[in-house]
This record gives sequence, C-alpha cells and structure tokens, in this order.
Amino acid sequence: MSDDEDRFPRHGADEHRQAGDRHRRAGDEFRGAGAGDEEELADAVLEEGLRQAAAVLDPVPDFLRQLALDAYALHDLDAQLAELTFDSLVDALPVRGVTDAPRMLTFRAGEVTVDVEVTDHGLIGQLLPPQSARIEVLGGPQTARQVTVDTLGRFSSDTAPAGPFALRLRTGAEVIVTEWLRA
Amino acid sequence: MRAGTLRSTAYHDVPYTRGGAVDRTEVGALVQSAVDGDAAAWKALVEGMSPLVWSVVRAHRLSDADGHEVYQTVWFRFAQNLGRIREPDKAGSWLASTTRHECLKVLKALTRLTLTDDPRVLDRASDDRTPEESLIDSEEAADRAERVRCLWQELEGLGERCRQLLRVLVASPPPSYGEISAALGIAVGSIGPLRQRCLRRLRARMDARGAA
Repeated sequence: MSDDEDRFPRHGADEHRQAGDRHRRAGDEFRGAGAGDEEELADAVLEEGLRQAAAVLDPVPDFLRQLALDAYALHDLDAQLAELTFDSLVDALPVRGVTDAPRMLTFRAGEVTVDVEVTDHGLIGQLLPPQSARIEVLGGPQTARQVTVDTLGRFSSDTAPAGPFALRLRTGAEVIVTEWLRA
Repeated sequence: MRAGTLRSTAYHDVPYTRGGAVDRTEVGALVQSAVDGDAAAWKALVEGMSPLVWSVVRAHRLSDADGHEVYQTVWFRFAQNLGRIREPDKAGSWLASTTRHECLKVLKALTRLTLTDDPRVLDRASDDRTPEESLIDSEEAADRAERVRCLWQELEGLGERCRQLLRVLVASPPPSYGEISAALGIAVGSIGPLRQRCLRRLRARMDARGAA
C-alpha cells in the first residue's frame, strides 16, 4: 500500500465530492496539447501492456469458464422467479457476540413467500401461505436434490448447501425458482 | 439496493469508443438470441463477458474459494434472469454490478465472522505455469515476459483504488466506462481522470524500477 490506500467511497455524497476533486486534479495535470497527446499515447500503450499481462497472468480459470457455459441450462423462462427480499447478512443488524447466527433468507414470487434458514448443518424453511409442494435444492446446472416437505409447506434438509444454491418449488401447476445465492 | 434485481441502473454508458466498443454493440442481440434458445449466443456472451466478471472478482481480493463461488453465482443468476433483463444491451453493466454486490456481501460476511484464519487476502503467485506463461518463457520472449511480470508486480504495489480500477479496466475485451462504473461503484465521469492518474503513477513506478 503506498499512496492511495483508501478504498472506493461507498456513499453517494462522498462519491460526488471526490469525483469533483479528481476532475480538478486532472485539470492541473494538463500541460499543453502536444505533451498531452504524447502522454495519452503512452497511457494507451501501458494500458494495453497491462491487458496482456492480465490475460497471461490472471486469466479466467478454465473450469469456471466451463461452468458459466453449462449455466445456460439454468435458463428457464417457464419458471417464476422468486426474488430475494430479505437477507440477514445484509438487512439484519449484527448481534454482539453472536458470530454463528444462521443465515435467514426470504424470497417472494407473487403471493408466495419462502423463508429459509441456512446453518452449517443444513437448511430448514417454510412456504407461505402454507401448502404442500415438491422442493429441490439446486447446486448448479447439473445438481438437484429433493428435500422433505410436509403438508404445510415446512421443509428441511440435513445437507448444507456448498457454494451457490437455489430452490425449485413445484406447487400445483406453478414452478418457482429462487434467485441464485451463495450460501 | 440489492444485488441482482432487474432495475435499469443509473449507470449511463457515455458515448465512448474504446477498443471494446465494437464487441459490446452485439451484446443486446446476443442476449436476445440466447433467450430464444441459441446456445452459440450464450457461448459468445460467456467468452466476451467472463473476463469482466473475473476482473471484478479479482479487484475485490477475495480468496480463491470465495471468488470462484461469486463468479458461479453471478453466471447462474444471469442465466436465470436472461429473459428478464430490461436493458439487454447493458448486460455487461448488469453482470459487473451483480458481481460487485456479491463481492461486497462476501467481504461483509468476513468482517462479521472475523475469522483470523480466513485467507481473505490470499493472492496467488502460483508456481503452476499456464500454457501461455510457458510460451512466453521461451527464451526469445523472456524479456517481454519479464516486463509483463514487473508490470503486474508494480500494479500490486499501486494502492487499492488504482489497483482496483486498473484491474477492471484491462479486462479483455475492454469494458465500457458504464461497466467499470457498475463494477466499482464509482461515477462514470471520474473514471477517465482516475485512469490517467493511475496509469501515470504506474509508469513512474516502472521508470523508477528501470533506473534502479
């Protein structure tokens, strides 16, 4: 860390103020058109050099590229998408001293709500309004695991999702899939 | 503000003709074709946008394991949302901002857990050579390879803000300023001046290295 260790500002007001500062500083650097052109060319050359370095030294790992290609199978226009409306990681205040609180998630698709609690040991959840359904935990384009659901739409699984997961629910004629999330 | 919702974002793509502009004009059409079932269009999207998503992951310095999961989550969600994206020609910005939000979530979870053994800032200086690296290790290219490595090293030492900006800026094909804005949460108007400052700072470091 040398001269510029501050992270990007996260808040609007700061962002605008600092953006203004940058403009002024950029203006200060202006030193006549000729020198500017040369500098700009040197910038462009350096940027291209960095681009090559990135491609060689830090490329997208092949297996990840393949997973993204396979993800096309997850494209399903017939399913309804249940959006994440609550995530304890983002929306809940941390409780002092509690470091292993379960992750609480709520998804909503129209009138249907799905509450899910994820722990290291698995997940439990509830479908609202209460109704029976078939529910699967998806772990990727090729992985789907059925979970047990009772007639009131309460479900549980002993296996904690490893990595990204989504739930696929079939209620009567409807198919609902929750937004993909990292557990 | 949550990740992955399909609002049309506040990121305005300024008219700008970087090298990648040509590739990017196709994005809207590719998204539409992929919605219609064209697997080749999906492949083109993955090939064209993967490096951008990856650069945003890397800019946030996640551990490899976390970074891999974020990358997957973003692509799974993109596939899931394909037919629902309101501005298909801005799919790049959608991907970039979704990646950013997922990265910030990971970082937030880490600060909550405050695990001392979590390898959050593990940057791999892997000994395994990729084929490309082996290639540039051939003798005639040794000088160039050395310069490439120096450049990468100096980038690491540049300070967080410049490192983040430059890492995303140099994805291939070059992202638009709208995409960079979405990737890092900075105003489009500030990217140009910041780019200039960071590149000049990097050049100064390379010069100093050469002189030493």
